[in-house]
Amino acid sequence: MTVTTTSVDLDTARSNQQQRRMPGDHGRPLTQSRGLARALRILSTALIALWFALPFLPLVLWSFADQWMHPAAFPMETGTDGLTAAIANGGGRAFLHSLALSLVVAAIATPLGAMAARALSRGQVRFGKAITVLLFSPVMLPPFAAVLGLNVLLLRAWVPPVVGVVLVLVAVAIPYTTFSMRAAYAAYDDGFDEAARTLGASSRLTLWRIHLPLIAPALARSAFLAFLVGWSDYLITLVVGGGHLVTLPLIIASSASGVGNESSVAVLSLSAVIPPLILLGLIARSRNLDPGRQR
Amino acid sequence: MTAMLSRPRRRGVRATLLVLPAVIPVAIVVIGGIGTTVVQSLGLMPLVGTPALSVKTFEGTDDLLSSALLSLGIAVVSTAIAAVVGFFTAVLIISGNWGGRIVGALSAAAVTVPHLVGAASVGLLLSDSGVLARIFGIPPESWPALVAGPTWFAVIAEYAWKESAFIALIIVGTLATRITSYDETAAVLGAHRGARLRFVVLPLAAPSLLVASTIAFAYTLGSYEVAWLLGKTYPEPLSVMALRLFNSASLTARPEAAAVAVITLLLTAAVVVLAMLGLRRMRAWQ
Amino acid sequence: MTTELMTSAITLTSVTKSYSTTAPAALHGVNLDILPGTSTAIVGPSGSGKSTILRIIAGLEDANGGRVRLSGRDVTALLPEQRGISMVFQRPLLFPHLTVLDNVAFADRAAGVSRAQARKQAREHLEMVQMGTFASRSPQSLSGGQQQRVAVARALAAKPSVLLLDEPFSALDPGLKDEMHAMIASIRAAVNPTILFVTHDRDEASAMAERIVVLENGQLLQHDTVDHVFHQPASLAVARLLGGKNAFAGVIDNGVHHSAIGAVAIDGDVGSGRATLVFRHEAVTSTLRHATSGADAAALATPHADAAACQRLGPRELRGTVTAAVQRGPRRELVVRVGDADVHTEAAPGNLLSVGDPVTVSLPCEALWTVPA
Repeated sequence: MTVTTTSVDLDTARSNQQQRRMPGDHGRPLTQSRGLARALRILSTALIALWFALPFLPLVLWSFADQWMHPAAFPMETGTDGLTAAIANGGGRAFLHSLALSLVVAAIATPLGAMAARALSRGQVRFGKAITVLLFSPVMLPPFAAVLGLNVLLLRAWVPPVVGVVLVLVAVAIPYTTFSMRAAYAAYDDGFDEAARTLGASSRLTLWRIHLPLIAPALARSAFLAFLVGWSDYLITLVVGGGHLVTLPLIIASSASGVGNESSVAVLSLSAVIPPLILLGLIARSRNLDPGRQR
Repeated sequence: MTAMLSRPRRRGVRATLLVLPAVIPVAIVVIGGIGTTVVQSLGLMPLVGTPALSVKTFEGTDDLLSSALLSLGIAVVSTAIAAVVGFFTAVLIISGNWGGRIVGALSAAAVTVPHLVGAASVGLLLSDSGVLARIFGIPPESWPALVAGPTWFAVIAEYAWKESAFIALIIVGTLATRITSYDETAAVLGAHRGARLRFVVLPLAAPSLLVASTIAFAYTLGSYEVAWLLGKTYPEPLSVMALRLFNSASLTARPEAAAVAVITLLLTAAVVVLAMLGLRRMRAWQ
Repeated sequence: MTTELMTSAITLTSVTKSYSTTAPAALHGVNLDILPGTSTAIVGPSGSGKSTILRIIAGLEDANGGRVRLSGRDVTALLPEQRGISMVFQRPLLFPHLTVLDNVAFADRAAGVSRAQARKQAREHLEMVQMGTFASRSPQSLSGGQQQRVAVARALAAKPSVLLLDEPFSALDPGLKDEMHAMIASIRAAVNPTILFVTHDRDEASAMAERIVVLENGQLLQHDTVDHVFHQPASLAVARLLGGKNAFAGVIDNGVHHSAIGAVAIDGDVGSGRATLVFRHEAVTSTLRHATSGADAAALATPHADAAACQRLGPRELRGTVTAAVQRGPRRELVVRVGDADVHTEAAPGNLLSVGDPVTVSLPCEALWTVPA
């Protein structure tokens, strides 16, 4: 009888010791604290949680307040008056406009950013540094400074206002999509594409069946950032759109600058907060397709 | 032979074609927008009349200095608060405890909120008949003027709130994958918690903290809607001033608005250059 | 194993660890004693708990049960930085924001020593790993081997009572590994720390350690000298884990083991009953046999009942035919069919044996060992 060799060779083994444990997991003494340190830690956690949560409080309270006279600490009557007023102000249409605008911006800025990131991460672009600076510059650019000039430029070029809004928002979103895709491509292993090609796949097939599925999670994150740019914008839609495109932030601004329509502002604001949160939840749940480190 | 020679060049052309679709809209908006604004500010693009080069818009615009100082003040204070809160938030999130997870979820939620919505909520929260005043039972006349008051409290609070979440997420993004192993290494070398924070976590986070703070600062300096909704009417920050002039009926106001925009651009550029110099120094000792 | 007069450098008492309630336990009541100034290797297959032991000693993981003592002091409840150990990981993990010198000075700086003083001491430790000329370089500018040298210097600069190394050189090229082993030897000559390291490389274990701990499924199988774990394994599992290829189940009767390869006399007092005969393939050689006698047979040249006669009798010999041959560097490994069994051997020097050749296999008396069946 011969015993087969079970070598003590363990290249695949590390996975077991490093099974994706986070620092705070049970049994990790480094991030556990005791005594006074523990009390301080809980206190600071609570304070920071309060800091981030507090601005959401008036939205929730006012959204369902039909009657809330001043001295009362909490709404006296709850109901859907705020919702009714918000819809009467054109909230429904504005919501749809916002959604359409953000989706269009994401649909354009994401592939543009991904393509630029792909080329830049391979270092084959002439003037790569200058192009990187240019693509990043909209983040630092005060939107009103660009918009004042652009407004004149786009009017003289007969660009329809809505197209102008999309153009400017795409330019503002491109830094986010480009740089999040660049991070993804920095970690991307070209070996997968090469392996597919050596297995007989055409470049088109490799793109659709190998490349895109592997970078899909990063594309989703980029698209989310571009969506947020469109969804959050107020000034560009106001000035470049010139009133032709009424989005949710425009309605919120006109309601909030008035007096006495708190519950309508709260409902509109809540409806502007919830869609990104849903998308965020979806993205957080979709896990990276992690091919692992294959050496 | 020719095929081999032309290969790298073709690859270069392909790369350029991949970059171009992103470069074109950005170039139109950045170069076109800034260029037109600068041309307008110099009186070369008046709504009526003949173009004539002049810098009098920069002298003739009243209160430009006080507005610039106000804008800078708001940006400095809110970015400083955001940087400190953001860094400690990131440390909490990275520690990975249940508290860190809650803070992580809340700060991610804050990042997705549009600034205008944040401003509306902060207004509902902090005004003299706001939610906090009601919860504490303080009558409007005794409540401090946080909204539209002389301290610009509500404006700074909104910026600090949103940007602290942004800064925290940027730091977490760059540290999350590698901080645990460095933290453990420092611990087995005998460094206690305070020393690890000072000698390991802070220096490793510093470059991304600087970059994120610079982005937050530039945003705050150029942002309009928060100061417009929650601020005082006089003096006004640069962005509010520029938009008021832009929308005013006066024909001379357009070049003045453009001049305000150019001032803001220059301030932003100066801050970005300073930050890049700082970043280079940081990288130098890396 | 523990001497009364000497306090062990590391003592683990029934240390148990499981990562979750569903997963199998990573460590089952491990007891371990490491004497000061020794170097010990922990070997075992993936998931055997090797690294977990190191992390528990370092304080990077809490054990679910059991105690950890360092030099007699119970450190079970202490944080890593309070234990007086230091650890080198598989990745060098040099702090990217510090120079090479400041990395080595880190432990002193963290302990509140002035920068100048910390750097002075760091320089001495850098010299110890022959990296003195790289002091002002950034870690990123070094090669992997140089980085790991600095990581070792940094760990030594913390003046640990115990130095833990978690697969420290497994990412390096074979030639570099040899240099690292020489470096560890010179460090041991200079400062003599207690060393406990994890490796998956049997050669590295024997090159750097006097003693080996064999671990499987969270259980300690054997803790003994290098020679003993290789040649006198405590169990079939240990023999298998250390790359032993020859194991023949059988029965011991009156000092002679009977199995598929025939009857083999065993040295020493081996009792009687069921037992498995093991021997290292590196210790047995095959030589070409000029086939004059008949068929291959499980013919034992000189079976002898008297075990004590081992030395006198010289090597035992088996006859067989080569069924497989693999060249490994200068050595040629053979599989020889002996009766119904395959025996793994090496070709004796000068024997260019190939498949089909009739051979004689010599079993030196000292190489033979039996483990419980």
